[in-house]
Amino acid sequence: MIGIIDYGMGNIKAFSNIYKSLNVSHKVVKVEEHLKDVEKIILPGVGAFDHAMRQLNRSGFLDALNDLVLNQKKPVLGVCVGMQMMANCSEEGVLNGLGWVDATVNKFNKEELNNKPLPHMGWNSVDCTIDNQLFKDISTNSRFYFLHSYYFNPENKDSSIALTGYGNKFTCAVNRGNIFGVQFHPEKSHHNGVQLLKNFSNLQC
Amino acid sequence: MNRICTNCVMDTTDIKITFDDKGVCDHCNTFYSDIKPNWHTDEKGWSEISRIAEKIKKEGKGKEFDCIIGVSGGIDSSYLVYLAKEKLGLRPLVFHVDAGWNSQQAVHNIERIVDKLDLDLYTEVIDWEEMKDLQLSFFKSGVSHIDTPQDHAFFATMYKFASEYNVKYILTGGNYSTECIRNPLDWMYYQSDDRQLKDIQKTFGTVKLNNFPTTNILWHKFYLPYVRKIQLIRPLDFMPYHKEEATQFLVDHLDYQRYAQKHFESRFTRFYEGYWLPTKFGFDTRKVQYSSLILTGQMTREEALEKLKIPAFDKEMIKHDFEYIATKLGISVDELQGYLDAPNKKYTDYKNQMWLYNFGAKVMRVLGVEKGGKR
Amino acid sequence: MLDPRIIPCLLVHNKGLVKTVKFKDSKYIGDPINAVKIFNEKEVDELIVIDIDATVENREPDYKMIENLANECRMPLCYGGGIKTVSQAQRILSLGVEKIAISSAVFDNPELIKEISSQVGNQSVVIIFDVKKKLFGGYEVYTHNAKNKIKSDLIELVEKVQELGAGEIIINSIDNDGMMKGYDLDLINKIKKKTSVPMTMLGGAGKLEDISQVIEKFGIIGCAAGSLFVFKGKYKAVLINYPNIKDKQKLF
Repeated sequence: MIGIIDYGMGNIKAFSNIYKSLNVSHKVVKVEEHLKDVEKIILPGVGAFDHAMRQLNRSGFLDALNDLVLNQKKPVLGVCVGMQMMANCSEEGVLNGLGWVDATVNKFNKEELNNKPLPHMGWNSVDCTIDNQLFKDISTNSRFYFLHSYYFNPENKDSSIALTGYGNKFTCAVNRGNIFGVQFHPEKSHHNGVQLLKNFSNLQC
Repeated sequence: MNRICTNCVMDTTDIKITFDDKGVCDHCNTFYSDIKPNWHTDEKGWSEISRIAEKIKKEGKGKEFDCIIGVSGGIDSSYLVYLAKEKLGLRPLVFHVDAGWNSQQAVHNIERIVDKLDLDLYTEVIDWEEMKDLQLSFFKSGVSHIDTPQDHAFFATMYKFASEYNVKYILTGGNYSTECIRNPLDWMYYQSDDRQLKDIQKTFGTVKLNNFPTTNILWHKFYLPYVRKIQLIRPLDFMPYHKEEATQFLVDHLDYQRYAQKHFESRFTRFYEGYWLPTKFGFDTRKVQYSSLILTGQMTREEALEKLKIPAFDKEMIKHDFEYIATKLGISVDELQGYLDAPNKKYTDYKNQMWLYNFGAKVMRVLGVEKGGKR
Repeated sequence: MLDPRIIPCLLVHNKGLVKTVKFKDSKYIGDPINAVKIFNEKEVDELIVIDIDATVENREPDYKMIENLANECRMPLCYGGGIKTVSQAQRILSLGVEKIAISSAVFDNPELIKEISSQVGNQSVVIIFDVKKKLFGGYEVYTHNAKNKIKSDLIELVEKVQELGAGEIIINSIDNDGMMKGYDLDLINKIKKKTSVPMTMLGGAGKLEDISQVIEKFGIIGCAAGSLFVFKGKYKAVLINYPNIKDKQKLF
């Protein structure tokens, strides 16, 4: 059972529609009770870091979520701001992140971008730097949809499993044990995204 | 227990079927006696269609196009376009009627045909709000021929266009090779019967059909051909037409995308023939299609029987289709299920012009104009 | 490398899709749901859907239609038409839409941009400017299907909305709408210089070369088109089309 966390941010329906079409059992998690039989977690997210953290803190199930991820080691996939929330903190805001991955979230450097617009919006190629179950059957340099102005910066480069270039190359996917995160939107990346979400549901962790 | 014809795979789900002492059904026997002797796909056929093509070209000189070809994106009509242009030297206008159910493959295939053969395209888009209401009326009526709105609109639009612009030749992909056996009337009543269509809409519809195109049998079977001299021609009947070869040719040369089954260029028709008809009425149109292929040597009876063992639909796909159909029609899945579970009705339960079709068919047969046909 | 975005734009009028020429003479295109489904299966980059009646009729967006369309999209969907409040924007986003587009509301209440983007993030807030050439040079902004003229300067407006939190700007050329003779390159040039957020141009594309021309000149940009992706050939026959991956790569 995949639990899609609904704390008021992110395209819950898009994930739900995809898992429905894949015939994978899933549910939307709005309260702590919903987490009971969840084996894997999707943490979506759009919008501002602080706003997202505030919403999650208010959700009433943050403790239970932490327990599932950190103690019970259930696989979790953070998407976009959902991934950024897994860091310690973000330059976008003042609140603390979840701290699930030792990382910060930084703003794109305007100079390095050389007049490229922000947010980073559109289809960009994802270069896997290491073999990972999450990208099974997805060829390297596959394109996914991005929409963000800040990027995830892990302390330990080993947790970075894919890079994307915008200005410089930045980490667009991470994995540390049961914790996964992608900066792009698999729920809006056509067949590549569907494959990635399928892979996540098939993960043996 | 179903009794199956010993020659083809039609069976007693066609309640009017009869068998001779060899166990061969009346569909087969009608083919052998009425259709086959008069169906020429050799030099005789070729010279006849060439003669017709010359006539079309001559009469079309100086005009933008010399004929229109109705296309759905399906194999028959797509292959016909290729033949008409490349083999018969015609200058067709590719004519498509969009009833709101085009699959991506259909749209892709029409685009390929038009681009690769460098032809012009004309599309008529049916008013979706009216189409939706009419389709819902057919669901509510409980009859089996719920694809009538699409079929009727397709032909009505083509005839109207031909009439308005005085186009003398309409080419269609209808053919004996894959359609020599027709769906029994109890399965699919005449889609051209506008009396039936109007009665069903009057009984169950919620909107008036102001923009929806209608035709009637007298107009397009008698007035148009005999008074206006607008003719419907089926070129595929004049030459050998092998379905699989034609499909492969289109795939290899025109970047065509295959369909899972006949008529699957329309999402609605796929749902209707693949699920609704078999589930609600027990009618499997594949029996009709395979039987035609058996009679024309494109499939063996054994192959057909094997294929028929597999259900006509994929369970998962149907679940999605069911939801999609309901959403598009603006109803809930439960409401659609309700129509599926409601009592089955026949075309005779609503006003119809069957007497006219019977009369007309007799006249045509006496005049030797038409061979075989529906019953 | 980030690809330029190639985006079909669909207009909804009386529940059906239409295509206009210079914002007039709407031609019926058909059912929105089936069109969106086909575009999704063709794997378009993004999709824009605008309800051209909502603002003029002063009514709520058609939430049911929006939800049905969003359900068919495995790519980002941008919806515009009749959005005046933060709660409308939030409701639409919760139906599965990635971006909301506002046009006339910007002039009635510019602070709305700030309010919405502070709730949902600026990446989800798109500002559309419908723009017409002035008689003696320059451009003017219009709303309400090109009926109401706005007195402010276009460039000033472009700068202002970015300060207020817009995440994307779409420039819609009324003059080139439906003409299929190419984009207004001067207009793109004027605006691109003043945008630090992504910019998308709409209006005028008649062939794929029009898009590659814009990409060649301007690099990272969104090219939106209506007529190009719904019409085919000299009779403007309605046929949903979009370049496949191979043909798209050739454009950039």
